[in-house]
Amino acid sequence: MRDVYIIGTGIHPWMGFSEQVFTDFAAVAVDGALKDANIEWQKIEAIMAGIFIYGGNAGHLSGQYLESIFGETGIPVVNVYNACATGSASIRMAYNSIAAGETETALAFGADVSPKGFLTAKSDNAVQDRDVIRWKMGGLPNPIYWALECRKRMEKYGTTEEDLALVKVLMSEYGSKNPHARFKKQYSMEEVLKSVYVCDPLRLYEICPVSTGAAAVIVTADEELISKADNPVKINATTMGSAIYGDPTIRISALSCPSVPEAPMLSESYSASRQAYEKSGIGPEDIDVLELPDNSSWHYLVYLETCGFCGDGEADKMLRDGETKIGAKLAVNPSGGFSSHGEALSAQALWQVIECTNQLRGRCGDRQVEGAKVAMAQTYGLMGNSGTTIMTV
Amino acid sequence: MENMANKVARIPNLVDWSTGEVRLMSAKCNSCGTYFFPREHYQHRPGCSREGVENVLLAGKGKLASYTIQYYPCPAPFKTEKKITPYGIGLVEFENEKIQVTGIIIDTDLKSLEIGMEMETTILEMYTNEEKQQVVTWAFKAVQ
Ligand SMILES: [Zn+2]
Repeated sequence: MRDVYIIGTGIHPWMGFSEQVFTDFAAVAVDGALKDANIEWQKIEAIMAGIFIYGGNAGHLSGQYLESIFGETGIPVVNVYNACATGSASIRMAYNSIAAGETETALAFGADVSPKGFLTAKSDNAVQDRDVIRWKMGGLPNPIYWALECRKRMEKYGTTEEDLALVKVLMSEYGSKNPHARFKKQYSMEEVLKSVYVCDPLRLYEICPVSTGAAAVIVTADEELISKADNPVKINATTMGSAIYGDPTIRISALSCPSVPEAPMLSESYSASRQAYEKSGIGPEDIDVLELPDNSSWHYLVYLETCGFCGDGEADKMLRDGETKIGAKLAVNPSGGFSSHGEALSAQALWQVIECTNQLRGRCGDRQVEGAKVAMAQTYGLMGNSGTTIMTV
Repeated sequence: MENMANKVARIPNLVDWSTGEVRLMSAKCNSCGTYFFPREHYQHRPGCSREGVENVLLAGKGKLASYTIQYYPCPAPFKTEKKITPYGIGLVEFENEKIQVTGIIIDTDLKSLEIGMEMETTILEMYTNEEKQQVVTWAFKAVQ
């Protein structure tokens, strides 16, 4: 295996529902990445594309649609879906293809348009698609799953409503300084605690909505391209994990979970992060910048524990003591997180990698983590999907 | 239960009231000991032979392991004739079966909800169908 570097990234800023053709967002992100890497389209030897599940033929074959915009060159194009960890799959495949020597330079991209209204079931087969049961019989929109886990956490570890609100206060402060963020308003503790409950104990400002956006990352082992690039970022490991039997988490779309744990919570993310630590030889204590999936304030807390940044039940104290702020040893979500962006399914994992890359390249202006050398992007996808990418300069 | 004859589950094979007590329709793997709900949502232990899976009913009562109150109406295809929002959702633990199951909470003061309280399985009437049957789903309520 040889060393693989990120040499160019591009983003279409996150926004609400859009009538635009989704490949147009993707093209904006890819144009940005090519320009940043200072290379021609013809240098791309493989495309690893995240699929857009609401996009029909275009969405399911997003890589082919994108390739035809820039010009078809006959290269391998793979279209992949792993829920909110889709981008992790695309960058992992790009990395593996290059590290193995199959290609020199590859493109990982994802573009997604939030559906108008709610995410709901996509089939009508209750036997094979548990989504049908959870919507027709269960009355279970996504945030309910997070609220059920959050309530357990409050009972077990004493997490308070103020802790949950503090996450939003911090995220909104950072998001207000991020030009890519969709939500740029800064909130006080009082404002967050006054926001309505969506599903008690989680309030409106403590859960993230769905968004629209696109992200593209160019990775290479081509020494000439690396030497030409502005601050190339090394990928030390990029991994994926799935769930482990006995994981007690009530997973989105499930109707049940084990009551006697035999595996860690969010075991898919436990698995992905531990694989990344082992492969890279880098551990939580070495990391300067962490982008974690704060789908809700509960996620922010539990992910610090799942990924080994503190022990179980210790994340609240870390947060209260300011140990997750920009300026502390570990900066958590200096981007403003999903809280300031919202989820754009197939693009968000790449967006997290790009945020880390920008921090390592010193391009983050008012929210720059000084001297950042090691960064980690951690994703979470429904039904046991996760990915971890560790990067260094 | 009274008047159960004219009720039909919106999706079959999830909730049973034929014994007079409302119970969830689970399956148990006799090789690895895991209970599944719904039945088809297999979760075998790695290495399990997957032999001897049998249909079983969960106990009628369990303990509240977690809960939330949903303040916004659940979007379609969820449907009820009467407004139920805000509604409680419970995660009820069936101790012997080592499984926790989600369900809407009815006939219970939502302010009284507390982790550990005893809950029983019941049914929620959602709407009347063209055959004038009450279409139902499973639900939980506090044991009186
Ligand atoms: Zn089994």
